[in-house]
Amino acid sequence: MSNEHTVKSYEEELQFLKDSLIKMGSLTESQLGDAMDAVIKVDKDSIDKIIKSDEEINKFRSKIDTQIMNLLVKRAPMAIDLRETISSLKISQDLERIGDLSKSNAKKVKPLPLDLPDELLGNLKRLGELVMKQLNDVLDSYVNKNFDKAKEVWKKDEQVDDLTYIAMESVIDFLSKDKKNLDFSTHLIFATKNLERAGDHITNIAETVCYLVKGEYLKGSRPKGKVIQE
Amino acid sequence: MNNIKIKSKNLNVYYGDKQALFDVNLDLNEKEVTALIGPSGCGKSTFIRCINRMNDVIDICKVTGNIEMDGMNINDKDLDVVSLRERVGMVFQKPNPFPKSIYDNISYGPKIHGKGETKSELDQIVENSLKKSALWEEVKDRLDEPGTSLSGGQQQRLCIARAISVNPQVILMDEPCSALDPIATAKIEELIDELKKTYTIVIVTHSMAQAVRVSQKTGFFHLGKLIEVGNTEKIFKNPDNKMTQDYITGRFG
Repeated sequence: MSNEHTVKSYEEELQFLKDSLIKMGSLTESQLGDAMDAVIKVDKDSIDKIIKSDEEINKFRSKIDTQIMNLLVKRAPMAIDLRETISSLKISQDLERIGDLSKSNAKKVKPLPLDLPDELLGNLKRLGELVMKQLNDVLDSYVNKNFDKAKEVWKKDEQVDDLTYIAMESVIDFLSKDKKNLDFSTHLIFATKNLERAGDHITNIAETVCYLVKGEYLKGSRPKGKVIQE
Repeated sequence: MNNIKIKSKNLNVYYGDKQALFDVNLDLNEKEVTALIGPSGCGKSTFIRCINRMNDVIDICKVTGNIEMDGMNINDKDLDVVSLRERVGMVFQKPNPFPKSIYDNISYGPKIHGKGETKSELDQIVENSLKKSALWEEVKDRLDEPGTSLSGGQQQRLCIARAISVNPQVILMDEPCSALDPIATAKIEELIDELKKTYTIVIVTHSMAQAVRVSQKTGFFHLGKLIEVGNTEKIFKNPDNKMTQDYITGRFG
């Protein structure tokens, strides 16, 4: 028995949707990395490029929306095809939000002084690297339809929460030493929080991948790390 | 979950040397709609024809195994088939009203089953059946006209009214909408939703979307075997069997 649809164009449309999502994912990944680098290196020259790449991500989102609408209208997908279609819709929304958060982080670079101390940025860098790894792993789990890997990402968000807490503490420490630091420290606090939020979107994607693969939502609540009071 | 109305155990059907059903075990719940899907020739119609012993009319047909309704063995040789068919009505793919008036189409069944002895009783049965099949408002002023003068969708609802006129417990529908336009189909589907409050319904359909819309339980047949049966939502979102998935997603057929 063949795994291909009897209608070839249906097969192609589904493949096209998956390809678009993978491209959108890799664009989001680069943008998140670039924005992170820009903050750590206080690289003000890359801000415009990062903002521009967010437009690309948004375009992908609308393109994917259109593809999904067409699939729903033309094919009335069922079972795995339905889950694939609906999951693409949800994942593209989360990727777009991660893109917005990266853009927001890029914008925070502008007011930062060029001589930020290493101990201030060290924890933020570690957080950024973890979030990057999480995004990479979750996209990998999507491409390979790997339930276990997606669940691993979902569980690991606890570490993102913990690192966010630590990174926040170091910024607050720095801030409390000298009130003059208040202005740009606030931006760093927001940048840290943005990474934590990106982490939450990544766990959403992980949940969606689990649903896509097994057709069931993950049971129980996700392990949570230290939480910053909002 | 509702009580089991019909239970088949290791049901086999043969047409001469050819086996059409293989050990089918399928429970149909009372006052629920069960949809049977599968490619042509997979045995779904053969299965529903076992429920009202329609296969009896085919000489070379042999049925083995068990099929029970409320614990009564449907295959029992001594069973009164006429009384069985009074309890199990059937609606076919193409509307097939009798070449008689709308009124007579409906009163015929009750008359031969000895129901509705007086004219006013029959009038009441005709009116109730037409109301239940959502046709009354459209035909109440022309009950004397031939049933065949109605539109396709109306004729199918007339056939449903005819089936329910003898007050059955089960209604079998073999692709009841395949000859109808979308509006007439929608009316039948709306009607099925209403009828399931009173009757146990089994519908054979080639439309996946229809199976999802009207049924609570779905069974997938392939080459005479019941491959998978379960909650309709589950079957169409996340079936357990790969063959079911391949069929409903259009990967073979």
